[in-house]
Amino acid sequence: MIKRVLIILTAFYLLALLQTSFFVHFRLWGIFPNFILILTLLINVFEKPQKNTGIFAGFIGGFLLDIFSSNLIGFYTLILLTLSFLIKIIFRKYVRAPAW
Amino acid sequence: MKLPAKKNKILIIIVIGILLVLSLNFFQKETKGFFYVISAPIQITFWSAGDRVSGFFEAVGNLSNLQNENDELQKVIRELLVEKASSAELKKENETLRGALQIGLQKDFQLALVEIISKDIGQESILINQGSGDGLSLGMPVVTQERVLLGRISEVFESFSRVTLISNKESSFDAKVSGNDTTGVARGQGNSKIKFELVPQDKPLKVDDLVVSSSLGGIYPEGLLAGTVKKVERNDVSPFYQAEILPLFDIRGSAAVFVILNFTND
Repeated sequence: MIKRVLIILTAFYLLALLQTSFFVHFRLWGIFPNFILILTLLINVFEKPQKNTGIFAGFIGGFLLDIFSSNLIGFYTLILLTLSFLIKIIFRKYVRAPAW
Repeated sequence: MKLPAKKNKILIIIVIGILLVLSLNFFQKETKGFFYVISAPIQITFWSAGDRVSGFFEAVGNLSNLQNENDELQKVIRELLVEKASSAELKKENETLRGALQIGLQKDFQLALVEIISKDIGQESILINQGSGDGLSLGMPVVTQERVLLGRISEVFESFSRVTLISNKESSFDAKVSGNDTTGVARGQGNSKIKFELVPQDKPLKVDDLVVSSSLGGIYPEGLLAGTVKKVERNDVSPFYQAEILPLFDIRGSAAVFVILNFTND
């Protein structure tokens, strides 16, 4: 559990630094993709619905987005947490995938 | 319905986490400043690496245009050689004036050289590596060596400052067209776009006109380059018309910029 938490923390932190300092030099069709948001969604969609790593990923990802933006701390945290919760609820109650 | 104990525990942890995060807003500057201090060395490395890599890919992408560009340049060189032969003195005076212009920025303003560390996620603002400890304060304009306007300082930390770019939706300033008396308001639209609004119908404006800052609103000094007119949008019904401006600044390839220290808006 602690190992998973540390991996997520490190991965999201590095991704936040890359997104704000490296990937800003590249545009995809005129826009800068939000990789932290994409990774959070991917974790929530592809992990087992019973696991809670995705929710923690949403919390960390949102917190780092807040730190490296000019918004109030908590803005992206609440958004990504809510998204993670919604995905979990939908996958637990309404979606059944063969892999799970 | 009573929730299972495990779910209860998770919910409590999440609620405590949210409350902790929201309470950090009381120490927002200290919290963000701490992260910027530990991240700055890595971000500076990533910034320069990103600049080099994007420059490489841009060159590769332009390979097909190189032959045409080469032919054009050869033509220009031939024309310039003819001009040089017939106007040697004028060229010498031109070079002297160009040299004077290059130091014009330092002559007009007191400057601080700063580095761009990062660009904010989802916002048209950048972080630079100097702050209140280095004498920077709110409202100071940020420009490049060529007098191209980037924006102004909107948040100051101890060792860092946030610069709101002129393409930010919250940015608007008085501007005018270089070379005539057409005035208007340059308003950021996000995504590196700027609109030049409130231009009186009887004032001229055409594509490729150079738009510069005006000292009228006291936000920026006079004459800093904002952008060129890309598209004019006229409406015969309204007393004003507007245009789309292509900003001259490009944060890619602009690692070092200048803060104008002896100009702040009231």
